[in-house]
Amino acid sequence: MDNFDAIVVGAGHAGCEAALALARTNNKTLLLSLSLDAVAFLACNPSIGGTAKGQLASEVDALGGQMGINIDKTLIQLRMLNSGKGPAVQSLRAQADKIQYHNEMKKTLENTKNLFLRQGEVTEIKEEENYKIITTAVGKKYKAKAVVFATGVYLKSNIIIGNYVKNCGPNGFSNAEKLSDSLKNLGVKLLRFKTGTPARINARSIDFSKLEVQQGEENIQNFSFITKKKKKNKAVCYLTYTNEETHEIIKNNLDKAPVFSGLIKGVGPRYCPSIETKIVRFADKERHQLFLEPEALSTNEFYIQGFSTSMPVNIQEDMIHSVKGLEKAEIMRDSYAIEYDCIDPLQLLPSLELKNHKGLFFAGQINGTSGYEEAAAQGIIAGINANLYLKNKEPLILKRNEGYIGVLIDDIVTKGTNEPYRMMTSRAEYRLLLRQDNADLRLTEIGRKVGLVDNKRWKIFTKKKNDLKKIMELLDKKYKVFEIETLFKENGESLPKESISLREMIKRNNLDAFKINQKLKAFDNFSYDVINEMNIIVKYEGYLKQQQEEIEKFKKNEDIVIPNDFDYTKYHGLRLEAAEKLKEIKPLNIGQASRVSGVSPADIAVLSVLVKKYKEEKLKEKNGKNN
Amino acid sequence: MEDIIAAISTPLGKGAISIVRISGKESLDVAKKYFTSKSLCYKNIIPRMLYLGTFNFSDGSKEKCMMVYFKSPYSYTGEDIVEFQLHGGNIITQLLLNEILNSGVRLAEPGEFSKRAFENGKISLDEAESIIDEINAESEGEVKATLMQSRGQFKRKIENLQNKLTECIAKIEATLDYPEEDFEKSAKDEIFKIVEECANEINEDLKNTQKTKYLKNGINIAIVGSPNVGKSSLMNALIGEDRAIVTDIEGTTRDMLIGSTEYRGIKYNYIDTAGIREAENEVEKIGIERSKQIVKDADVILFVIDGSREKTEEDKIIESSIKNLKNVINIVNKIDKKRIIPKINNEIEISALKQKNIHEIEDKIYNFVIEDKIDFNKNIITNERQINILKECLEVINDLQKNKTESMDIIAMQIKKLWNCLGKITGQCENEKIIDLIFSKFCLGK
Repeated sequence: MDNFDAIVVGAGHAGCEAALALARTNNKTLLLSLSLDAVAFLACNPSIGGTAKGQLASEVDALGGQMGINIDKTLIQLRMLNSGKGPAVQSLRAQADKIQYHNEMKKTLENTKNLFLRQGEVTEIKEEENYKIITTAVGKKYKAKAVVFATGVYLKSNIIIGNYVKNCGPNGFSNAEKLSDSLKNLGVKLLRFKTGTPARINARSIDFSKLEVQQGEENIQNFSFITKKKKKNKAVCYLTYTNEETHEIIKNNLDKAPVFSGLIKGVGPRYCPSIETKIVRFADKERHQLFLEPEALSTNEFYIQGFSTSMPVNIQEDMIHSVKGLEKAEIMRDSYAIEYDCIDPLQLLPSLELKNHKGLFFAGQINGTSGYEEAAAQGIIAGINANLYLKNKEPLILKRNEGYIGVLIDDIVTKGTNEPYRMMTSRAEYRLLLRQDNADLRLTEIGRKVGLVDNKRWKIFTKKKNDLKKIMELLDKKYKVFEIETLFKENGESLPKESISLREMIKRNNLDAFKINQKLKAFDNFSYDVINEMNIIVKYEGYLKQQQEEIEKFKKNEDIVIPNDFDYTKYHGLRLEAAEKLKEIKPLNIGQASRVSGVSPADIAVLSVLVKKYKEEKLKEKNGKNN
Repeated sequence: MEDIIAAISTPLGKGAISIVRISGKESLDVAKKYFTSKSLCYKNIIPRMLYLGTFNFSDGSKEKCMMVYFKSPYSYTGEDIVEFQLHGGNIITQLLLNEILNSGVRLAEPGEFSKRAFENGKISLDEAESIIDEINAESEGEVKATLMQSRGQFKRKIENLQNKLTECIAKIEATLDYPEEDFEKSAKDEIFKIVEECANEINEDLKNTQKTKYLKNGINIAIVGSPNVGKSSLMNALIGEDRAIVTDIEGTTRDMLIGSTEYRGIKYNYIDTAGIREAENEVEKIGIERSKQIVKDADVILFVIDGSREKTEEDKIIESSIKNLKNVINIVNKIDKKRIIPKINNEIEISALKQKNIHEIEDKIYNFVIEDKIDFNKNIITNERQINILKECLEVINDLQKNKTESMDIIAMQIKKLWNCLGKITGQCENEKIIDLIFSKFCLGK
């Protein structure tokens, strides 16, 4: 039997981050993947980022993860979404060269010390004392103290196209038929979810002259805080729409759609419905928008965003051909739905460790989430916590005010999910603070503490922090009216009566630090990132303070720890419904308890009294014994 | 300010005294702000000494009361405590509490004083159980009270408001979270229209909290009717003194007569008017103008007619001048004589002279103003906590309206704050509601 410190099952976006986090903190780590050709595979949309997801990717980067670096290296188009709607909701979105993305990540894994990448299907997990024994389909056995499951959508997955059902993973990769049974044997409760991906078509068959072009932007922020170069765009996307004819074809063939015929039983995500679901649910909508996205520079394949379906292929063809610009489109890969096993995330602790099974961690789509960035975010946390477990240290649990990662994990382990969970900015209470631009300021120190932030990143981070301090000190500098006259006039601002400080200028509606710098050269010595950061801090000072105050209140309850052995059903006073819910979730603190559904404010007041009572009795007992 | 809590800690209803208790690190600052006493210099305040003095309301009115200060840790909660002791009766006590709550002090949660006492080690472990019962009982009571209010009407109305906001938020959030989708974007003026609607509704609700106004200033009751129908004798019967002159000479009571009594803890101010009719001379004209104004401002109008004679022209003029008002109680006087006029809706038959059915009038007024008909089918908010939440909502709205040019993320943040505020009344604070609506209303995704 081969011995490792830790084993990571699955090398998708969660598995890669988990394995890298473990290996980089000096654990001998085995990373098993069903196929080495599926490492960091972008199985659906060839893009990274988007609202809330961009924030997640940068948070993973700030902690010392790989996703940000990998996308910066392999992106072919970059845009900033929501640029006119305020800093809280701005997110980067990149088109990835999916072939390069996979290659680059695989290369990184292969060259990481302590990391062993190996192809293999895990069929069984057994717990023996402090060890876990992993068996693969070919009969190899591996032993480790910690295991991270990041199996994605590969557990007992079925691909469905019309009546065609095939037992396999995404894109025809083989799946894992036995592992979910083995998990069930450990007492893990499974759910069955569904998702899908649209067809890929050949660029040579698309009439681009009929389509709207969508260009990228340059000279904006990167995903990774350690990427120095601003990337050049190398590709464009295109926009087209479905029409009445498309909708007719779909409506006439609804009986053949597996989502309606009953063939698909898994729960699909509401935010990512198939086109047939959209037509049925939003019948009065005349057209649906479709994005054509290049899959990679080295291929002709185009991804049709918005057109996911599980209709039979001949109908898929008719549907595609009814769309403007796609009249002669050649399908290269069919659109399909995929059903898979995942676990009910309520069984997890906020560390992503399975309750009552020390050393077993879960990350990514197996936890009922969706999306590459959500997966990577859980992956790095599972990796960090597996390492901390191996070193006998307290787990890292990010709070809701610290990052989208904290919101994501708290949501799934506290409230659970009944569809693949997607991150959205509207899920975060403190999104003005949880911005993509300040992910490093929020998390890099934590990443350093857990051993993932290397010296290079740390140096870049401390410089940014120092620069930010320096630039903030400049803001009281005052300018005489004549010095700023043109700046104000050109931007339609009324002139002040007396001299005015930089800070006051930045606060003006029609001005910002960049515009001011252009004219006054006040911040010329600072990087884009530092000026941008300062600009937001000054412009949104009042609102940031407001959120900070809310966080102070929020933290009070987060800091009251509920002892692990606290028995909810033992005491009188807690309503039975609340007690049972809490017993199942086992919240770590009063704050988390307050977010469990069905628990009222009065229950929380009662609980905090009970917890205090419990702690004091324990203390008395202990003191009694000592005496 | 550190978290300071306050509540009325004596049972509501009639009692000899009532106590408003304030607990928290800076409680004494609250006392300093409102309470003055000749014998008190705050620098040398002696704990546990009862000071007699004045509570100074911000509107300039004053109330005699006593104040006692307990210094931490020698207090019930273990924190600094200030208590105001004042005359029994709900009204002044509630007003005093209200005043304090306007200065940044928070209304205590159910059982919170005891909870704090426990947390600060003032209550032993064995007593923890009783605190839990207290929390449960008080919060249950509150839930019941909310449900009872105008048979849940108030809560339903706030729910409606919140639902409107939920739609508004869902729309904003959908555009923010799915910037690339091509659904109808939410326009700012549309958002602010809804915000304004909220403001109007909440203002309306708060106006109805005037119940407390009645409680403080009493209910103003105008007595109107033709000359010689017995207004003045009714007044005498109501206030039980000989303050109104009972006479048959026309115009005797031209100058307003005012008399007050107390009924079930509330002051009743009766105003006898000179009758609303065309005046013949200057002096009368002034008097009549004034009486019209009084009728307009009155909380309740008692329209008195003489049941023993046919309606006169004058009766009819007055009747038609008040026929659109909903706060009128018809009083048919002189039932000791033979009744001639037919039955009128919403009438009380009395005899002022024989003091018959006078208490019925008082009861009716009480029901009219204090119970469910208050402000005439609009809402009344009885719960202090709710009043405070609504005030908080208005603050957020003001802020929003002042900063209409902010970016969408900020506007969304403030509207969410407003939504959360209302959620404290409806009990609906789950973000999941909004997300559900986003997905059910908008077609999103790849």
